[in-house]
Amino acid sequence: MNAPSPKVLLIEDEKQIRRFVRVAVEEEGCQVSEAETMAQGLIDAGLRKPDLLILDLGLPDGNGIDLIRDLRGWSDVPVLILSARSQENDKIDALDAGADDYLTKPFSVGELRARVRALLRRRSRSGEAAVPIVEFGNVAVDLSRRVVLRAGAEVHLTPIEYRLLATLLGHPGKVLTQRNLLREIWGPSYIESSHYLRVYVGHLRQKLEDDPTQPRHFLTETGVGYRFQP
Amino acid sequence: MQSEGKPVIQSAERFTPWQRILLTVVACSATTLLATPLLGHLDLANIVMLFLLTVLLIAVSLGRSAAVLAAVLSVLLFDIFFVPPRFSLAVSNIQYLVTFAVMLATALIVGQLAAGLKQKAREAQVREQRTQALYEVARQLAGTLALEQVIDIARQFIRYQLNADAAILLPEDADSTATQAGLSFRVEPHLALVARQSGQLVRDSGTAGSGYASLYLPLRASMRIRGVLAVALPADSLDLPAENLALLEALASLVAIAIERLHYVDVAHATQLDMVSERLRSSILSALSHDLRTPLTALVGLADSLFLIKPPLPAPALETAQAMHEQAARLAGLVGNLLDMARLNAGNVTLRREWQPLEEVIGASIKLLGNALDAHPVRVTLPADLPLLEFDAVLIERVFCNLLENAAKYAPAGTDVEIVASQLADHVEIRVCDHGQGFPAGNLSALFEMFARGQSASGKPGTGLGLAICRAIVEAHGGEISAANALEGGACIRFTLPKGVPPVLEEESA
Repeated sequence: MNAPSPKVLLIEDEKQIRRFVRVAVEEEGCQVSEAETMAQGLIDAGLRKPDLLILDLGLPDGNGIDLIRDLRGWSDVPVLILSARSQENDKIDALDAGADDYLTKPFSVGELRARVRALLRRRSRSGEAAVPIVEFGNVAVDLSRRVVLRAGAEVHLTPIEYRLLATLLGHPGKVLTQRNLLREIWGPSYIESSHYLRVYVGHLRQKLEDDPTQPRHFLTETGVGYRFQP
Repeated sequence: MQSEGKPVIQSAERFTPWQRILLTVVACSATTLLATPLLGHLDLANIVMLFLLTVLLIAVSLGRSAAVLAAVLSVLLFDIFFVPPRFSLAVSNIQYLVTFAVMLATALIVGQLAAGLKQKAREAQVREQRTQALYEVARQLAGTLALEQVIDIARQFIRYQLNADAAILLPEDADSTATQAGLSFRVEPHLALVARQSGQLVRDSGTAGSGYASLYLPLRASMRIRGVLAVALPADSLDLPAENLALLEALASLVAIAIERLHYVDVAHATQLDMVSERLRSSILSALSHDLRTPLTALVGLADSLFLIKPPLPAPALETAQAMHEQAARLAGLVGNLLDMARLNAGNVTLRREWQPLEEVIGASIKLLGNALDAHPVRVTLPADLPLLEFDAVLIERVFCNLLENAAKYAPAGTDVEIVASQLADHVEIRVCDHGQGFPAGNLSALFEMFARGQSASGKPGTGLGLAICRAIVEAHGGEISAANALEGGACIRFTLPKGVPPVLEEESA
């Protein structure tokens, strides 16, 4: 990798957590800068133009969700949320506001590094032309021709199933909230009808996963949404 | 009919019956004396008029019975002192008999009418006074803030209007009111209960007057009967006229409405208190959860970061670091369990119920446990026609995680874990079974108590909260959970979730 090392901004008020996150992220070859408060974090995000933002949701001087909304007005830098388990709603709000992924405290350094890697990879890939063919497991999807092949044989998908698949494939590794997917695929009036989404994700799993009860690509983020894992 | 015992000013009430007779006799005699000198100048017919006037006045002032007496007396006096032959009852001219008959009839009718009118007027006055009193009571009751005030107002009203004592019996203290302090009479709890349950007035004619209440009126409000109004009438007026009964019934409904209003004031107040304490509890829990998790997160991460130090630490140091990571993670799990239990135990868990396939949450649980299930492959068997179920995915995921974790902990490595679902009439039953030794013999339902451990001597780590949390979650969903040992060996936890009516899924227009 000859490209300049990616810049990561870490906004977290707890010193000891900042310490090990910094060590872990530096191990990924990144330059880390730290901010303790939301106000400082927002200023740093504007000044340093980081390639990735790691944000603790429980900041002392304000709601991290507001920071994401503010940030999304002028930047599409990937955002990784750190949150406690009891904050399901905050997580969803943060993802809806434009965050890309989340980690639930406590998390291991291994998990953290994997998420950081994935987000940075996606960031670097976003400049490239969209790949018309996406492959995962033994499935190949040709987005330009709307053809889905599983182990070489064509799989028939209904229009909604295909739309759901294409939406998930369009954001590999990213957590898409229920609300987000329902609005995107069924329209705003279906936002409360989450059973549609669940049933259709089930269809995709039936058709494309080896073991639909223990999926490897179309993952459930319980209480939050779905994630496509290539 | 005479209304007695009322503090209304009534002319007829000022005199005893004997005084009334005396007055009537005096009045008739006076008329006779007055008319005697006029005998020569006036026609007998006009003297009859004087007597009729007297009867009218007596009827108006002394009432109905005095009027009858006056009518008879007048005819006798007229006969003796005015009709020839005077000073004898004998009559010279037979036509005077007609005069007597007409005079008596006229006197009686005039007396009756006058006394009747007088009484009507009096009754109207009484009624008006009572309406006024009821209005006043209603106004006072509307301003009450405490039950004691309501009781005081009602008792005062009954004492003033009926000269009787009363008590209000509420269902909560049905027994204790029998000995209510400051009560001049006793109540029969059984009769009060009958009045409350039947919603009908109950009269106690047996023990009345002997220090017991004689009337029990149900306090009927719009929602339900709020209690009983027991009235002890004074011994001399046990026979209560209809109008007084109506008055008591009107009072009873006013009191009932006042009690119901106070009840809802209490309910509103309690609800508000509940909300405040609920908010406080959840904010304490989330603060606690944040404060406990922050150092644990740092601990887990810092232990991990020891692996990244360059040059690498010697192997024993890394083993220590790994152990620190595991212990901190376990501590985090325990803290999570305790906080979950606290939240579930606090009651009013708000379930985020959504219709969803069971399959998905099982998959998510298996994924979440990850490496912990490496030595225990999970086999999932779900019927193809399993309907969508309505549950809180996060909580049910917790149930599956706890059950699978237990299986992985207690069953020997290499044995698999089975998850089987089946449909019953109005429930779906889910069984999570391992192929280990099963539960030790004994009371299996005790496993679901907090801090219960199946194999307390086994030395396996745990707090005994896992199954208690499962039970709290399943019960919050309206299901049941139980433990059993499978016939072929192995521990089996079985729980149910209600089916309900799943929402319709519109067919896709392809």
